[in-house]
Amino acid sequence: MTVAQGRTSQLDVLESPEEHRRAQSARIILWTGAAAIALVVLGTLIVVLLHGLVPYERVVEGYLSTSTLVVLLGGLFLGALSIAWGFGVYRRMPTKRSREQAIAGAVLGIQAVVVGGFLLIFRTLGDPERFIFHFLNFEVLQGFGPGFLRGAMNTLLLAFVGEVGGIILGLLLAVLTLSKRRVVRAPARVYINFFRGTPLIWQLSAFHFGLSLGLGLNLNPFTSAIIVFILNTGAYASEVFRAGIQSIERGQMEAARSLGMSYPQAMRYAIVPQAVRRVIPPLLNEFVILIKDTSLIVVLGLLAENYDLYTQAREGYSSTANATFFTAAAIGYLVVTLPLIRAVNAVEKRLRSGLVTVTT
Amino acid sequence: MSAPLVRLEGVHKWFGDLHVLKGIDLEVQPREVVVVIGPSGSGKSTLLRCINLLEEPSQGRVWFEDTELTDVRTNLNEIRTNLGIVFQAYNLFPHKTAAANITMALRKVKGVSEEMAREAATQELRHVGLEHKANAYPGQLSGGQQQRVAIARALAMRPKVMLFDEVTSALDPELIQEVLDVMQALASEGMTMVTVTHEMGFARGVGTRLLFMDEGLVLEEGQPKEVFESPQHQRLQQFLNRVL
Repeated sequence: MTVAQGRTSQLDVLESPEEHRRAQSARIILWTGAAAIALVVLGTLIVVLLHGLVPYERVVEGYLSTSTLVVLLGGLFLGALSIAWGFGVYRRMPTKRSREQAIAGAVLGIQAVVVGGFLLIFRTLGDPERFIFHFLNFEVLQGFGPGFLRGAMNTLLLAFVGEVGGIILGLLLAVLTLSKRRVVRAPARVYINFFRGTPLIWQLSAFHFGLSLGLGLNLNPFTSAIIVFILNTGAYASEVFRAGIQSIERGQMEAARSLGMSYPQAMRYAIVPQAVRRVIPPLLNEFVILIKDTSLIVVLGLLAENYDLYTQAREGYSSTANATFFTAAAIGYLVVTLPLIRAVNAVEKRLRSGLVTVTT
Repeated sequence: MSAPLVRLEGVHKWFGDLHVLKGIDLEVQPREVVVVIGPSGSGKSTLLRCINLLEEPSQGRVWFEDTELTDVRTNLNEIRTNLGIVFQAYNLFPHKTAAANITMALRKVKGVSEEMAREAATQELRHVGLEHKANAYPGQLSGGQQQRVAIARALAMRPKVMLFDEVTSALDPELIQEVLDVMQALASEGMTMVTVTHEMGFARGVGTRLLFMDEGLVLEEGQPKEVFESPQHQRLQQFLNRVL
């Protein structure tokens, strides 16, 4: 056996001018693919924005303009070029790095061709005016700004209070489910399984229309919703905590107990502080889910001042028969959830690398 | 002879169908260094863990001084402060510094003041030669250092007996000696110890009594030197041939 002929990634040493030229061309393929997708997505967006967003006719104008056509065709050309070139030569690339660049350029080209092709076909064969009228008609949002802001605040308030209350309830339930005594575990399991086994929308309705009225509490729908979100999140958070606590090595409990600590002391000072760090990512995930699920309170028939983001959008849609409100709501949700999702990934990465040292 | 510190009487342990301890009787006198050797799976660790009831015997009784640990009315938490244990896997609390590992139980179990606990931590860390690592987290220490902190943590509770459960088995060879040195010093200070180990040099040099266990039974017992020089039981002879 001879020594492997391909070169490893650590040794990006190029021996001949020929190899050097190949590696150079890989970079060009990558940039071509990147330019293709940028042209298709950003180019179209810029052309449209330059034409203006309001009234919606300007958007239609921008989309149907010759500039957009040129941008899209250019993107398609560059995309096709990087596909053909990249897939044609990637096997002959001298280093792993240059091969990956060639492949990446070709893949970006595919993405540009798919998106650009769709935009081009829809432009000629579809009914862009109708679509833009319904989804990108930002004029209809006029006067709804304060309402949307209040809706966003209410959504965050519901999710935040629900999550915090749910975490406290969940930790308590988790400790109960970890008891060695079945009589302690059983009621906690019944509770958790009930709330995990019925739809949140059913819980909201049953609690508000059933319990609240049935018990003569006459709660405000918003209050009912907060209570149900806490009860529901508690069930999910308890499962997260339970898994987190169970993931702590058995030796930790043994070490604490052997020093004379009681079970509750060992839990409180040795086990739970470690488990809490491990459950931060899944709990943040739960929070993201809850932010979106707050929209279910639409079924409760809220007062206008208690509208959440989705209910506000729906209200706007009802009064104007225009779906642009949903587009606006999506932007509102994403503004909050995307940074959170990024935060989850960042925390997970740090926990995995084991670099976190939490001082208490 | 004085009253034994630790006494086991007819201790059996089953894990499901597995009969791990098949009737163990043991008395440990003050200042004794009992060393338990034997092939893996012989039940030595289980025996050790039955002494502070980390494992509950399926049958038989365990005493510490005059208190029966196997009596359900006994407050185990109180008794366990007298029975320090060190584990193979160190089991330090990774979210606490070396000093905080030591002060935690002092504060929460013995109700010692913050200041006194810190003083005790410093003293015990000095005892194992790691005073300068008081503020290091376990993840920043070598295996040998972690194990010495674990010993210091157990000693801080002022135990009357120390239990060592294969404390050098997880260590790189060059780190074993620093832990053995600490244990030897402890023995010479008069600490009562029960040690499960594969370190035959330690067993011979430091132990005052040697137990050989196999398949859940103590097969041979005596002065370490005598046992090593003239092993009676065939199983012990085979075992010594393999490890020496």
